[in-house]
Amino acid sequence: MRSYTDNVLQRRRLAWLISSLAIFGVVLFGRLFWLQVVSHKHYAAEASQEHIRKYSVPAKRGQLYTEDSGILAPLALNQTLKQLTADPRYVLDKADAANKLAAVTGGDAAKYQKRLENGIEYAVLDERIPSVIANKIKQLNIAGIGLVEHDYRTYPEGTLAAQVLGFVNADGAGQYGIEGYLNEALNGTNGQLSAKTDTHGIPIQTANNTIKAPVDGKSYVLTIDRNIQAEVEKDIAAQVQKVHAKSGSAVVLDPNTGKVMAMANYPSFDPNNYSRVADYNVFQNQVVSNAFEPGSGIKVFTMAAGLDKGVVTPETTYDDPFCLKIDDRNVCDAAGDKPGKNKTMTVVLRDSLNTGVIRVLELLGGDPAKITLSGKKILFDYFTKHFGFGVRTGIEQAGEGSGSVQPASTNNVTYATTTFGQGMTATMIQMSAAMAAVANGGTLYQPQLVSGIVNEVGGINRLEPKIVSSHVISPKTASDLNQMLQIVVQHGSGYTAYDPHYKIAGKTGTAQIPRPDGKGYIDGANIGSFVGFAPADKPRFVLMVTINQPEVDGYAEFTTVPVFSTITQWLLKYYSIPPSA
Amino acid sequence: MATATISARRNQNLYRQPTKLVLGPSSATFGIIAIITLFAFLYLNQITKTGTFGYRLTALQVQHDQILAQNQEFGVEAARLASLQQVQSSANVAHMVPTTRDQISYASR
Repeated sequence: MRSYTDNVLQRRRLAWLISSLAIFGVVLFGRLFWLQVVSHKHYAAEASQEHIRKYSVPAKRGQLYTEDSGILAPLALNQTLKQLTADPRYVLDKADAANKLAAVTGGDAAKYQKRLENGIEYAVLDERIPSVIANKIKQLNIAGIGLVEHDYRTYPEGTLAAQVLGFVNADGAGQYGIEGYLNEALNGTNGQLSAKTDTHGIPIQTANNTIKAPVDGKSYVLTIDRNIQAEVEKDIAAQVQKVHAKSGSAVVLDPNTGKVMAMANYPSFDPNNYSRVADYNVFQNQVVSNAFEPGSGIKVFTMAAGLDKGVVTPETTYDDPFCLKIDDRNVCDAAGDKPGKNKTMTVVLRDSLNTGVIRVLELLGGDPAKITLSGKKILFDYFTKHFGFGVRTGIEQAGEGSGSVQPASTNNVTYATTTFGQGMTATMIQMSAAMAAVANGGTLYQPQLVSGIVNEVGGINRLEPKIVSSHVISPKTASDLNQMLQIVVQHGSGYTAYDPHYKIAGKTGTAQIPRPDGKGYIDGANIGSFVGFAPADKPRFVLMVTINQPEVDGYAEFTTVPVFSTITQWLLKYYSIPPSA
Repeated sequence: MATATISARRNQNLYRQPTKLVLGPSSATFGIIAIITLFAFLYLNQITKTGTFGYRLTALQVQHDQILAQNQEFGVEAARLASLQQVQSSANVAHMVPTTRDQISYASR
């Protein structure tokens, strides 16, 4: 039997135990309260960070198309392919692995082996592996070899219109051409996914996942006609090779809308393999980026100012002295020309007489014997405000050049040479747009490369032609110039483009190339150009061709006019244009 | 016959004590635990199902992406086959001859 003392001790121990448990319970409850109520937000956020991750959801880059007989023909597409990678540390027999991979991909085994031997932890062996090949590589089960998904831009037409399109670099940024100019719109806006993940960090579908949908980039339809583009590229390449020139370019424009039908450059590149290009100048679309001294082609626009201002007519005559003394300098006609009396303005264009267009400048100033400030101001106004020289046209191309026209305050000698295209610069696209205004009767259109935007249902939202100015010259001036330029082709420097069945108008230009130090011109180097339109009685296209630094004797009539003629003849057939009446 | 029936009835205990269902503390605890377990089981089942569906959905999405990528590859291949370079190098085009002007007649101008 327990004693009284034992009972008291037992009760006391029990009381201690209960008290301790109660205190422990209170502490535990307090801690739980602290964790779950007071610090709820903090721990909930931490838990979310552990299990919820944010992912960027990339927007699809817009694609580029052209239209061929009403059907969309893709020029730039997106493609998700695999990159063949390796961790060379785990590839034990590198030669064997390279041979096995090459047998599947059709690639170069030696290249694979070299990359495996040179790589330390990571080596890219090959790019653009399609899923069928990727599956075969997986089946090889080679240790250290991996496949990484990668988005590529693919240009199914290969080199066609390479400079017009540009390319997308490894970071997904558009470079050069339309890819560069419309990069932001083509890219779209990335979305964001906030998702619960499993222990491996893989997102799990739950109702609590939130997604901000990406906004895909816009897809564009270009004005380029791929048939014309291919033909022009072929002809330019052939002519550059024939005359051993450094390069050549051409542009075909619809004078009634400003739409660019073709823009070609040679040499060119394949945008699918842009990284293989050594000379980055090849990426430039010379038609829009190269502002060069246009030479005699600009006489058309000096004459346009004179005709439009009414200071000359096609029949106005002047006495050609061969050389004119301007301030302290003699400015002369081209070698081979001869002085003569009563030469008409038509002859000035036909024979490309420098002194003739200087006379127009003098007449614009109101004094037939000297160049005045008012004359220079009028010419400057026509060149810049009427024809758009010295100002970017706004064509959808990255890196467009603006060219330059000296202000009226510049000295008289510079302005005298400006009348025949020296001391000023212009791009081919500016020259073509200005010539289009002459061809269509006086409307200056903004050259346009985008004809529409692909909408949600696959249709096309068409873009209207953009008129810069409706009356840059009067219809009478345009008509007179048209006739004068036909005579240039029929009897002047453009004679190799003459076709008795069609009325063709145009003007040659042979410009010297300034030295890089700005002192004079490079000996024997020139850029030959020809800008014209056909059929002259109802112009359907404006075509400009340049050949850069040909290694043959003679002016543009031997370097550019023949290729202008070839392309013109092809275009007349392509458009099914019946012979002129 | 009637007498026997009456006697049998007489022997019957006609009073019935109504049975009273009493939920004792142990049964109540057991019942509550059982209900909680049932609900917990149902909840876990649903959660697991949702998780499994999530994985299945992810797998289907991967499959969907693969099919889209394949579709994209076919699209690009089709575009490449329809490209001018391909068309020009086809056997049909190789046999074509260029037209000359005298072979062309225009119906009207």
